[in-house]
Amino acid sequence: MKRTFISGASKGIGFALARRLSDEGQNLLLQASSDEGIDRLKDQFGAKGHLFWKSDFTNPSSITNELEGLLRDFGTLDGFVHCVGIRSRRPLSLFQLEGMQAVMNANVVSFVETMRIITKRGYFNPGLSVIGISSISAHVGSPGVTAYAASKAALESSIRCLAAELFKKSIRVNGLVCGQVNTEAYHELMSSKESEADPVLQRQYMGLLEVDQIVDAICYLLGGSSSQMNGTMFPAHAGFLS
Amino acid sequence: MNTQEIINLFEDALEIEQNSLSESTNLSDIPEYDSMAKLSLIILSDDEFGKKLSGEQIRDFKTVGDIVKFLSAD
Ligand SMILES: NC(=O)c1ccc[n+]([C@@H]2O[C@H](COP(=O)([O-])OP(=O)(O)OC[C@H]3O[C@@H](n4cnc5c(N)ncnc54)[C@H](OP(=O)(O)O)[C@@H]3O)[C@@H](O)[C@H]2O)c1
Repeated sequence: MKRTFISGASKGIGFALARRLSDEGQNLLLQASSDEGIDRLKDQFGAKGHLFWKSDFTNPSSITNELEGLLRDFGTLDGFVHCVGIRSRRPLSLFQLEGMQAVMNANVVSFVETMRIITKRGYFNPGLSVIGISSISAHVGSPGVTAYAASKAALESSIRCLAAELFKKSIRVNGLVCGQVNTEAYHELMSSKESEADPVLQRQYMGLLEVDQIVDAICYLLGGSSSQMNGTMFPAHAGFLS
Repeated sequence: MNTQEIINLFEDALEIEQNSLSESTNLSDIPEYDSMAKLSLIILSDDEFGKKLSGEQIRDFKTVGDIVKFLSAD
């Protein structure tokens, strides 16, 4: 039975991925940061024998202190998908040091710290496939998105370096560059936006992506069909960057 | 925070001269009131007043006074 760790599994892409992999019979380690997130996971997957982990990745020392113990119970990993991603929109004049640090910690530092732990001998199976969920924001600048965009660009760079470092251990690391996806977070973002139309969708000319399309792409990257792919940024942006 | 203090905070966010706006100023007459300024307003409302401001509410504001009224309401 394959074992996969999904961070940020209680909503959106992570939740849909957990559903897909659970239906396929995988054993899952599912992380969320809030009580509501963990309750949602237990409601959906409580009977399936998965392991749940409440952890706030804005403070990555929780990973340092807790993940190894969890993996000893859970077993060796075949997959890790990092879906945690805090969004932030803030003009430079209202920049806050702690806010940017929280975004960097949750979106990228936690990813690297998780990688340090799960790639130790005894915690993974050869062929381990890792995917970090990135964003078009890493590639195209827009005002107010500095912290989020910088964190996703840093995530992508860390993926390329780790891919080159870890291939000798039969570990692959890839990124998925997502455009706008039809998730709760997307609708929350739009309801807080000052303009009614989403300017991104003008450029994302194939339209809003559905979560299942993103899950298809993740499953491709996790599985053996992508065995030659390493250190790539797989496009899932419906034309945005073309 | 009184009305004048709120207006001054708003002027700060827009990076325009203090005391250049009044409650009756139409937002459409302020060239600096662009999409970044609206984002600043959303964040100020949250940071300083603990109030979530939606895109729809922002679009309903017509004058500086409308913003003051929203921010100072209990
Ligand atoms: N949706 C899009 O349009 C879009 C576009 C491009 C890229 N992405 C990326 O795709 C990923 C998933 O986004 P999504 O919209 O599907 O889901 P989401 O609504 O952003 O879900 C976030 C997940 O991360 C967890 N989380 C939030 N804050 C956390 C923290 N401080 N520490 C640890 N976990 C935390 C949440 O748990 P709780 O429920 O417990 O809070 C939840 O499970 C993100 O990396 C995002 O940047 C999304």
